[in-house]
Amino acid sequence: MKGILFAFLGGAFITLQGVANSRISQGIGTWQAAALTQLTGFVAALVLLFIFRDFKRQGFTQVKPLYLSAGAYAAVIIFSNVTAIQHVGVTLTVALVIIAQLVLTFLMDHYGWFGLPKKRMGWTQFAGIAIMILGVVILKF
Amino acid sequence: MLLGIILALLAGSLVSLQNIFNNKVNVHVGSWTTTTLVLGLGFAASFTLGLLFEGKGMFDLHALKLWYCFSGLIGVGVVTCMVQGINRLGPTFGVSISMCAQLGFALLFDSMGWLGLDKVDFTFKQLVGVLVIVGGILVFKLGGRKKPSQENAQKSLGTV
Repeated sequence: MKGILFAFLGGAFITLQGVANSRISQGIGTWQAAALTQLTGFVAALVLLFIFRDFKRQGFTQVKPLYLSAGAYAAVIIFSNVTAIQHVGVTLTVALVIIAQLVLTFLMDHYGWFGLPKKRMGWTQFAGIAIMILGVVILKF
Repeated sequence: MLLGIILALLAGSLVSLQNIFNNKVNVHVGSWTTTTLVLGLGFAASFTLGLLFEGKGMFDLHALKLWYCFSGLIGVGVVTCMVQGINRLGPTFGVSISMCAQLGFALLFDSMGWLGLDKVDFTFKQLVGVLVIVGGILVFKLGGRKKPSQENAQKSLGTV
């Protein structure tokens, strides 16, 4: 039950974050908003890192630089997300972000890209994608 | 319209790549180190791109309001809730519930016009659209797939 509450709140925060970023972008500009919110998030995470003493430096050498660099994508993610919200609204943006995410994850799992263990996808995954796209069509057209 | 659609799809694709990559980092260095690294790099990249596209405008913060500075803390809430949720429910259930909540709150924000958004009037069609998408997510995530491997545990630490 607690897990459901956490996951539900996590989802609520993800949407809230997109909306807040979009509001802040109207005030000071999109790149400024992306930089500012991540700077405060970074400082907060750094403080928590010290409190939890969770730092494992030796682990860094075991990870490929490509994987370490993923954080930088957030610049483009936030910019695109904010611009999309301003153009097509929150609901359609969130729906499309989720669909793109599931489809790409699906491809990566299916073909075993980036060293992921290959997982054969069944017809339910195809059906799920088709239903989601149908939902977007109902939502928008 | 088309631009919005393309950018949303781009954002989603990058989120899924980021999730996979962050997860690999997470295994070796732990979740708070990963979060700190991800947000630090995100800041550096946003700042650099901002300088590139906006030049000095990047430092023009006269319209800054105090709450803007605290909005970044939402990200800490996202990570905490998702890590806890996924630890308790596993990635498939955890991410499914989170995605459904994201959509529900998106519809709520649009129809209420909260935080200065353009209000999109709530219609029955929108509700049906969202419910159908939720159905699709559940079929995709929970439909008869063989045991999802732990390696794939997607932690959805996304910044979106």
